[in-house]
Parts: sequence; C-alpha cells; structure tokens
Amino acid sequence: MQRASGEASVEMIAKAGRTHLADLWQSGSAKAMLPRIHGPDPEVVFLNTAGGLTGGDTLRYALDLGPGARAVATTQTAERAYTAGGPGGGRASMQVRLTLGPGAHADWLPQETILYNGAALSRRTRADLAPGASVLMAEMLVLGRAAMGEAVAELALSDRREVWRGAVPVLVDPFALTGASLSLPGTGPRPALLAGARAVAMLALVANGAEDAAGPLRSALAGLEDAEAAVSGWDGRCLVRMRAADGLPMKRAVARALHILRGGASLPRVWQI
Amino acid sequence: MAEAALAPDSALMTLVQWLSPAFPVGGYAYSHGLEWAISAGLVADAAGLQGWLADVIAHGSGRSDAVLLALALAPGADHAALAAYAGALAPAKERLTETLEQGRAFTLATNALLCADHPPAPLPVAVGRAAAGLGLPVERVLALYLHSFASSLVQGAVRFVPLGQTEGQQVLAALHPVISRIANWAATAGLDDLGSAGFGSDMAAMAHEGMEVRIFRT
Repeated sequence: MQRASGEASVEMIAKAGRTHLADLWQSGSAKAMLPRIHGPDPEVVFLNTAGGLTGGDTLRYALDLGPGARAVATTQTAERAYTAGGPGGGRASMQVRLTLGPGAHADWLPQETILYNGAALSRRTRADLAPGASVLMAEMLVLGRAAMGEAVAELALSDRREVWRGAVPVLVDPFALTGASLSLPGTGPRPALLAGARAVAMLALVANGAEDAAGPLRSALAGLEDAEAAVSGWDGRCLVRMRAADGLPMKRAVARALHILRGGASLPRVWQI
Repeated sequence: MAEAALAPDSALMTLVQWLSPAFPVGGYAYSHGLEWAISAGLVADAAGLQGWLADVIAHGSGRSDAVLLALALAPGADHAALAAYAGALAPAKERLTETLEQGRAFTLATNALLCADHPPAPLPVAVGRAAAGLGLPVERVLALYLHSFASSLVQGAVRFVPLGQTEGQQVLAALHPVISRIANWAATAGLDDLGSAGFGSDMAAMAHEGMEVRIFRT
C-alpha cells in the first residue's frame, strides 16, 4: 500500500516592523500557504493534501521565525487519523517544529485532530525558543464523530508537546491515549482520565509574564455549560486543559480562551467554528 | 558508593525507611489534586478512590514518575538533565511545587544520612539518585515508590472522603497489582515512553490552585 509523506517548511523574517516570507519549501502531500490577511501578523496555513493520516504516513511541518518576527500558523482543515490499516499497518508519524529567533512569537493554532477507531498516531510538536521568544500552542483532539455515532475503543495515540529554551526544557506535555485509558462500557467514567469526554484541548502560552493570564482565563472560562476547563499559571507559563462532550463546544471554549490569550485578536480565518 | 556493599535486607530497610511516612519529606501535605476531586464529588467512596488512584498510577503521573525514577536509577544517569526534564513535565503549578518541595526535603535528609552533597531535584529523580547505590532491583524500587505515593494519598482520602481506616487499607491492597504492573513496565522504559492520559487528575491539580479553602498544599 502506498504511504503518504509530506514536508512543508516556512521561513519568515521581520523587516521594518513587519514579518515577511523568506523561504517556503514543500514536498509530497504537505503544502503551506500564506493567504492575504488584514491583521498585523501573517497567517501561515499548512495543509495535508493526502486528506488524513494512516499507518506509515509521515507528515512534517516547520515554521522558522527570524529575530522579532511574528506569525500565526494553523491548518487548512481538521486533521484526520484513520485506522492504521490492519497488522503491520504501523503508526502515522507527524512532526511539527517551530524555531523562534530572539524576540520572535508564534501562535501555533492547528484545527482539531479527529481520531478514528483504530488510529495509531505519533505526533511531536516542538518549539525551540531563543531568548525573548514566546509561543502559544493550542491542540484539540476529538475521538470519532459523535454526530455519525462513531465510538472509539481502540487507539494508539502519543501526542507530545515540548518547548525548549536552548538546552533547557521549559514544558513537556506527553499526552497519550490507548484503548486501556479510554472510558468504555464497563470501565465507569474514569474522572482522573477523560471522564468519557470525546473532545479535549490543551493550550500553552510560554512567554515572560504568561502566568498573569491565568486569572483572566479562569474568569472567562468559569461557568462554561458544555465544556470543562482548568487553568494553571506559573513562572512564564500558562496552561489550559479542557474536556467536552464533542468537538464543537470544545472549539468554542478554546476560542474564548484564545481571545484572552491573544489580546482579542481574531481567530485564523480558515478556522471552522 | 558505600551502600553498594550493603546486605540485601539492609538495602531494602534503607529504602523502606526513605519512603516511609515518617521520613521528613512532608508527603502528608500534598493531595496531588485529590482534595479538589473529593470536594467536587468526583471521588466519593472507596471504589471511586481506588479507580482514581489506579488510573493515576497506570496512565497518569504515577506512570511518569516511575519512568523518571527508573532513569535516575540507571548507571551513569545524567541527574541534572533528568531533573530539568522532570520539572518541565509538571502539568500544573502545584504539581511542580509538590515534586520540587518533596524532592528538596528528600535530598536534604538523604544527603545527611549518606554524607552526600546532591543538589535538590524533583522527587523521583532525587529518590533514584539516592537509591542507585543500594543495588536493589529497579522494579522493586519502583514498586515501593509507587506504593508510598498511593499510601500517602489514601491516608489523605481516609480523612476527607471520609473512609474507614480498614476501607483505606483495602483500597491500598487492591492497588498492589497495578503498582507491580507499572513498576515492571517502567523498569525498562525511556523518555520516549513517557505518556499520560491523566487529564482529569491534571485538571484537578490545576483547579486546586483556585480553591479558596483548602487543607492540602496541592
């Protein structure tokens, strides 16, 4: 069976206070586009033209920002991790690399990843920050599609986010999910894990003073009716975790949190919400 | 190190002493988010406590700590790098406090007993670094560490769910199989094997940060 592979890499630099494209490289099923936008910071939109990930596929996205550059990066659509494809199907592998020069800032705001029953995905998202650089990451995962009545019982997901400053790890978030850690008929709700939620989101801001966002976020996310959120902030980090019954209420809650974390900036235009 | 020559029982007694509630690490002050989970009604009885702890050990922070401890026990381990990685793994402010404060207290106490001069490190790294010289099987150190972790949380829960002392001990006994399983698995695991589904447990630790009235520090 043909395995898809793709790699897209975008390099941007700041000139006279604005960020410009310096280089764009793409191969295989990965593409990167820079739609014309009206905000102050450019938007980079990555796309997997294979239409999803299955066993053995590899996908790499990279964004490199020069000193003082600022950009928002997202994905054209929700990513889909399909059934790995039987014995020997292997895992799909996805790598996202953000390399941020001194004083640069990136918002990594991909649309949600939908995990189908039997999906096997290993994803690594790593941001390397030079002094004074900062990053905002938001990752959303949805188990199957509730509207289609899909239930996910088998899964092998390893989804790790890492933020480094030079040789020092700042934040490591190794989310993992297998059939053994899902809430299934007979296992009870498992409140220490997903508690039966079909959608989860993890947001992380790593920036000087990021902890100051925790208070406003707690207020903004208090009393959500169809999603549950928790916030923690300390020492240049602010983290948000959310659980919801399905993708849409989670995405709305994420949008609310991003509004606070991004000073009211509008969401990437490709976001479907 | 001198401990390498200790007789097996002596090494085991040393480790049991370090991991006992009487060792001045202050584990009783930390609930690992369980205080919030109890106040929110997520853990309301012995079965709920057992399920919560089994999931934390098998799929959450217990599993991650076991991996860090195994790596810290390995010959030639880079404890400074592991300490930095363990700190970055903290999923919430209070989790960092919990592992750093207990790790600092553990290091001070074992430094004094071993005439060592180790810098403070997160708890699993500090325990691994000190226990490396005992020559005990890795699985055994991991199992006793996870048992001590579970025992401390059960003690806290007994007071605040509340549960009877016997019920608490039944919960702890019922956790032995999952503790053994994770200890055996983590003994040969590496950093790439780290992975947590302990989303609700992490959210509980985050939510505890915003609690106005609390008994535990975490």
